[in-house]
Amino acid sequence: MLKTLIKKQFTEAFRSYFFDAKKNQMRSKGSVIAFFAFFIILMVGMLGGLFTALALTLCPSLAEADMGWLYFLILGGLAILFGAFGSVFNTFSGLYLSKDNDLLLSLPIPVKTIITARLANVYLMGTMYSAIVLIPTLVVYWITAGLTVPRVICGILFFLIATMIVLILSCLLGWVVARISLKLKNKGFITVLLALVFIGLYYFFYFKASGLIRDLIANAVVYGEKVKGAANILYFYGRIGEGSFGAALGFLAVTALILFLVCLVISRSFFKIAASSGVTAKVRYVERKAKSKTAFQALLGKEFKKFVSSPNYMLNCGLGILLFPAAAVGLILKGSEISGVFDMLLPNFPGIAAVLVCVVLCALTSMIDMAAPSVSLEGKNLWIPQSLPVEGKTVLKAKGSVQLILTAVPMLLAAVCAAAVLKNTFIVRILMVLMPLSYTVFAAAFNTFLSVKMANFSWTNEIFPIKQSGAVTIAIFANWGFTLVIGGLYFLVGIKLGAPLYLALWTVLISAADVFLIHWLGTKGGTLFNNL
Amino acid sequence: MLNIEHLTKTYGGRKAVDDLSLHIRPGEVFGFIGHNGAGKSTTLKSVAGILQFDEGKITINGHDLASDPLSCKKDLAYIPDNPDMYDFMSGIKYLNFIADVFAIPADVRQERIRKYADIFELTDDLGQAISAYSHGMKQKLALISAWIHDPKLIVMDEPFVGLDPKASHLLKEMMREHCDAGGAIFFSTHVLDVAEKLCDKIAIIKQGRLIKVGTMEEVKGDDSLEEVFLELEEE
Repeated sequence: MLKTLIKKQFTEAFRSYFFDAKKNQMRSKGSVIAFFAFFIILMVGMLGGLFTALALTLCPSLAEADMGWLYFLILGGLAILFGAFGSVFNTFSGLYLSKDNDLLLSLPIPVKTIITARLANVYLMGTMYSAIVLIPTLVVYWITAGLTVPRVICGILFFLIATMIVLILSCLLGWVVARISLKLKNKGFITVLLALVFIGLYYFFYFKASGLIRDLIANAVVYGEKVKGAANILYFYGRIGEGSFGAALGFLAVTALILFLVCLVISRSFFKIAASSGVTAKVRYVERKAKSKTAFQALLGKEFKKFVSSPNYMLNCGLGILLFPAAAVGLILKGSEISGVFDMLLPNFPGIAAVLVCVVLCALTSMIDMAAPSVSLEGKNLWIPQSLPVEGKTVLKAKGSVQLILTAVPMLLAAVCAAAVLKNTFIVRILMVLMPLSYTVFAAAFNTFLSVKMANFSWTNEIFPIKQSGAVTIAIFANWGFTLVIGGLYFLVGIKLGAPLYLALWTVLISAADVFLIHWLGTKGGTLFNNL
Repeated sequence: MLNIEHLTKTYGGRKAVDDLSLHIRPGEVFGFIGHNGAGKSTTLKSVAGILQFDEGKITINGHDLASDPLSCKKDLAYIPDNPDMYDFMSGIKYLNFIADVFAIPADVRQERIRKYADIFELTDDLGQAISAYSHGMKQKLALISAWIHDPKLIVMDEPFVGLDPKASHLLKEMMREHCDAGGAIFFSTHVLDVAEKLCDKIAIIKQGRLIKVGTMEEVKGDDSLEEVFLELEEE
């Protein structure tokens, strides 16, 4: 039974890799290999490379000082943070909000079996994220300190323990969110608020990281002794990676016990939470004067309502919105300093700061992608827009407009601040607003294009279209790619052209792409939506 | 009101609907019966404009569905067999959404919402999120959303499923009133007793092909509809 459920979970999680929903048939072996290769390159190549660099920075000095345990403590902690951060947002929905919960609970399957299958999926997600840190950590250590049998065995146990801790944290946080969601009415916003606090702390430490690492390497012995004295448990945790069997077995036993207790708590409350429709008090309808809207306004309102009603949707696709006001404040406070630094370092390249700020603003836009999963999110409601007297292009326009409105307004604020603060000619200042704004239109249209081209309605949990769909993955990485091209080409050819001409060229090019994409959405895109 | 000419729809080589032709006039309650997988839902979805068909022509109130789908949809309301609606909206928000799309003036929609919500005893629950609705309440909401824009043709797939006896009775009355006022209704059902009592015309579909169509008397003669249906199924 458990095997069947786990197989079902994993089939669902990786369905898009094996099954082409559009053609309603299995993918060819070549396509499956290509999809997995792409995924591995993304995870290992890009993120793994980042953590390999960090491991290479820390390992030699700490291993040489016989403080390998501190190296494992730091990177193991980072892996746990990364794993929990990566999977916490879908733990709640994966455990409690899956659409097949009712079906499974109605079948003669023990609740603990359902929970175990669900947790296997959570474990897989957490492990995928933490492995990006853990694998480089272990490999770099084995190469630097030398490969021995105890180090390899304990290294594997270190991996296992760290991923189990990730599972414990994910489950606990998911359970807390579930308890909150039972008590509160505006649970969507509360969940987002909690997540924002968590993310705020994460980035606070992230931005402090380079300073902390420098300080740590310089004072490794002092800090090491303090940890040993005051937090012995952390010392033993780090010792696992060094090859201490005692620490490994002790930690494994304690972690397994805690995991067992957490699973017990979750399985006991699972039925109550999963089967609950919340305690929201019955709202007795009071008639109010109705207001008419146009069809487009109605569709736009519906898209906004969908966005704000789902914490997963807001967190995964809209978090980048907050970065624009932060960038605006940063530019107001530090803009003249940034400009001064560039003028001093690169006196022959006037306007370089303007180009780079534009590139950064475009990169921030890349982190907002609510249009990309929007068509897939119609799910079983697709019959509604398709049977109503609205054109497919109007539906797509509403979906793209949500992203455009939510991006363009804060983008405009940040771009105007940048243009006002950085010393440039009037033309460059205008282009500093126009170029990023044209990019926001491009990102919204491009993500809507992906949404309709790669629509997938065969999901049982909305986290799949929001987080794991092809449209979202391509939207994020393609937008990063576009930004890299804009930034990279400046250093290759843009410097010769000068900032005004370079920004003007990109404004024209992106605007042309906007026109092309909007035209496509209004013609072929609309037809494609009608025929989904 | 509704003309279906030689409709054919194929799924992966299998003909779900095969050369089907039907004509529904204003004032007719037209029942559509057949076993599971016979092609009823495929036909209804094709009429509603949410399924592309391979061959044939559908016209609604004189408008060709293929070339002028918006004009057709303006005259039409469709209710699927399982009315999944926007869970994140309240009932009243959903009704206003539908009314906005059909450009129903505020005062007219308010009056209609009041009328139909009262009929189905759903008024008190209109402020609730649809996610909190039972299957029957969702079905009632879907019915109100269909009637709210006073369509000429109403297409329904198994409309009585999930409704309590009182609501079923009220729906039958509403269907009759709608057709008496010049509208038309095309619906599928497995409840043959209801079809027999309610329909002016009936069509029986088997393996995608129409095997019998006509007025109730023409189809069943002196037998019951159930007897005729079972006999035709066995042939």
